Amino acid sequence: MIEEIIIFSTISGGVYALLALGFTLIYGVSGVVNLAHGSFYMLGAYMFYVFGTFLLKLPPVLALILAVVFVGIVSSILYRVTIHPVLGDEVGVMVVTVCLALIFQQLMLLVFGPPNVPVASLVKGSVIILDVTVTYARILALAVSILLFVSLWVFISKSKVGKAMRAVSQDREVAMLMGINTERLYMLAMAVSSMLAAIAGIFIAGSTTGVAGAWIWMHPLALSFSIVILGGLGSIKGSLIGGFIIGYAEQTVAIAAPEGGAIISVVPFTVMVLVLLLRPKGLFGKRIEMED
Amino acid sequence: MREDPESGKGIREKRRSKPSLGLTMHLLEVENLTKRFGGLTAVKNVSFNIDEGEMVGIIGPNGAGKTTLFNLISGFLEPDSGTVNFEGENITGLAPHKIVNKGIARTFQVVRPFRHLPVIANVMVALKSPRGARKIEWLKTMERKAADLLEDVGISELALEPAENVGHGTLKRLEMAKALATEPDLLMLDEPFGGLNPLETDFLTKSIMRMHLDEPSRGILIVEHKLYALMQIVQRVIVLHQGEKIAEGKPEEIAKNKMVIEVYMGKGM
Amino acid sequence: MVKSYLRRAYSSFAAHVFDIPPRLMAFLFFLILLIIPLAGLDPYYLSIMIYANVLAIFAASWDLLVGRTGQISLGHAIFFGIGGYSTALLFKFFGLPTWVTIPIALLVGCSAAVLIGFPCLRVKGPYLALVTMAFPIILHSIVKWSPLNHIFGGEFGIRGLPAFFAFLPIRQQRIAEYYLTMIFLFVVSVIIYKVANSKTGIVFVSILDDEVASKACGINLTKYKLMSFVISGLFGTLAGCLQAHLLKVSNPPMFELTWSFAPIIVTFLGGIGTIYGPLVGAYIYYILDKYFLTIQLPKLCEYFGAALPREFEYAKLLIFTLIVLILVIKWPRGIARFTTDKLEDLEEARDLDERGPRIWKRYKRKEKK
Repeated sequence: MIEEIIIFSTISGGVYALLALGFTLIYGVSGVVNLAHGSFYMLGAYMFYVFGTFLLKLPPVLALILAVVFVGIVSSILYRVTIHPVLGDEVGVMVVTVCLALIFQQLMLLVFGPPNVPVASLVKGSVIILDVTVTYARILALAVSILLFVSLWVFISKSKVGKAMRAVSQDREVAMLMGINTERLYMLAMAVSSMLAAIAGIFIAGSTTGVAGAWIWMHPLALSFSIVILGGLGSIKGSLIGGFIIGYAEQTVAIAAPEGGAIISVVPFTVMVLVLLLRPKGLFGKRIEMED
Repeated sequence: MREDPESGKGIREKRRSKPSLGLTMHLLEVENLTKRFGGLTAVKNVSFNIDEGEMVGIIGPNGAGKTTLFNLISGFLEPDSGTVNFEGENITGLAPHKIVNKGIARTFQVVRPFRHLPVIANVMVALKSPRGARKIEWLKTMERKAADLLEDVGISELALEPAENVGHGTLKRLEMAKALATEPDLLMLDEPFGGLNPLETDFLTKSIMRMHLDEPSRGILIVEHKLYALMQIVQRVIVLHQGEKIAEGKPEEIAKNKMVIEVYMGKGM
Repeated sequence: MVKSYLRRAYSSFAAHVFDIPPRLMAFLFFLILLIIPLAGLDPYYLSIMIYANVLAIFAASWDLLVGRTGQISLGHAIFFGIGGYSTALLFKFFGLPTWVTIPIALLVGCSAAVLIGFPCLRVKGPYLALVTMAFPIILHSIVKWSPLNHIFGGEFGIRGLPAFFAFLPIRQQRIAEYYLTMIFLFVVSVIIYKVANSKTGIVFVSILDDEVASKACGINLTKYKLMSFVISGLFGTLAGCLQAHLLKVSNPPMFELTWSFAPIIVTFLGGIGTIYGPLVGAYIYYILDKYFLTIQLPKLCEYFGAALPREFEYAKLLIFTLIVLILVIKWPRGIARFTTDKLEDLEEARDLDERGPRIWKRYKRKEKK
């Protein structure tokens, strides 16, 4: 059982880190707490189904790319239309994004009905590691996550756009004074963030449950913000480490507790509440607004 | 001072009699206060004392650390090192509302009214604090006490106006009323003259002097840029520059201090 | 907002033309509501009103916390569910009668409010919203968790809860339930009104407006935030208890996000930040939903020979959420309207509650003597 926990935790930890990275990216760059982040995860999985099985019958890789791009485009448009108008207002942004989340949920129910839709895994087959059967799909998920995580890290540290993002996250006004077009940057951050979520959605749904339902957006959202709170809002390093910690915690509960699968939602939330009680800054977080 | 409606004479209001601290204890003792923000040291080893009834001014160019100092004393920021003693008690790092209830009240450089409350309700908030709600010799209702405070600062006509709608001068005076509501033993004013026209400045100067007369044991600490107005009020001036105290003394001395003039070059008086 | 403009226009009209103070208007409104059952309505329509009353209580409790004290709560469903499940568990395991289980459930709700309040107090803004979202989801998972089915009844919850007036025939039951919820709503509204317009209410608004300035006035934010949480939690729990006994079941959906979101819809529809806003909004929402959308719309479709697809169920929530979304975007200050409307509320309160001017007049009179 221990081996199971370790292996599956590592795998899920990696993907969770990617998911959390998206969440922290949009927050760091534009200050938006995107409660619809989980919805993009869900949308990714659903779109993968649409392009791969439902509407078109594209090969999995193509379906994946199309689905992810679709989500990216939709999210940028939505950003411009719904979030941008309320940017100054934290409460407004949260209400807007929670509205979006509910709308997406109902939309999925409307279009696809309550039954879950199948999400194919990208590769078939499995391998035995340390007495545990691990599907190639899961390994692929981890590999892709690590690859993306690293690329993003490099992108943000080295590229011009990445530097602009960092500048904006540190001091919005000065960045604007230096001629950085914040609006476009925010849209880009939104697109990237949602695409990360979509990728996570396709991989996790495909390699673990094999299905997607209209309510699967809640768990990724819970994961995203608990990881980000644990790791520290705005910290990329935090998302990585936090992702693994929560991944381990979750898998331990899922495997060790009876019917653990149903109760795993409790883990990220409990961690989050504990962190906020004991060390609100998180592990690597920047200063938290407790004062104005 | 209030006018007796019948005789027209001035009535000196009896306030809570406070036992004097005596000659041994300072009202406020700030020792080696230091605060860093990342790489920047906003306040560096600042020390000074204020005694009962003293009126002290703090001046310095922008960024000298004056407001940070205020925040450190009033509990809104925790110092990295150093101590703050008030009436003999160590209050370093205490929560702001606790410090208020110990007897230090402060105003803010940029006014912070409660926009959605009428002016009088703004003051009533402060009167709801434990210290503000203390009963004095004769029982006044909270509304009456608030009304009196508004009258003290001269804005009683606007009592029922939403704070959103009143002018800057009124808001500045409202800040003052809120601070006075808790009957502080130390009153800290952060740029009280900011944005006031000459008439308002004059009125405020007189108000502060009157406050001092009404309550001789209260210490007043004022951060201000309008040196002309400030120098008229205070008995002692502390000069900050880049977080450090560079001079301290009587207003006349400071005005002639070469270092201070250099530091202020261009500011003028 | 159009609504607020209408309301303002109406209340000034009512106050000046008819010379009727708004308080009296509210009283008349209540009076009308009281007579409704006697109009011989079909029990179904009464049900709409009954559940609208419960929703109004729930939304009013949320409004006190969010609209008055500025603590963003996206997890109010926690109290709803705690109310429902507490009373259900007390019935299931101890067989206690309703008039015993509900007060105990309220106590549980208050204690929960304190427990939940603590982590919430220390955080602001996005963190607060996230933390508040966490609790109902945690409890939702727990009550659905199969190993605990013998306690919580799993997916189906605890059924067979006693109705309030089980000894009456159906029609009379509904009427009695209507009056019961009406009374509760009235009491809750009065209490919230009194609290909101008291000095404590003033402190609440100060916290909403500027926490730093409030602290600088010597206010212990923790104490007041907790107070707001507890009052809000108390009435939210009450709503949950009522719902559970009206539906005779207490189940996991009580903890769902839809219930946390409902007060947002209701307050947007009815007018944010006023005392009667949640009430009006609840009625509008329920009448729109359960009457127009559930009864009239299908009838309309039948008339045109079309049938409403079964999926329309899902579209309903979508429509309401979309409305809220559009409102929030169109009027970005709409959320700040929470608070701007508060101003009008306070103006009204000033007129209604002549304490302010009265004291002032008294003071001025004294001066003249």
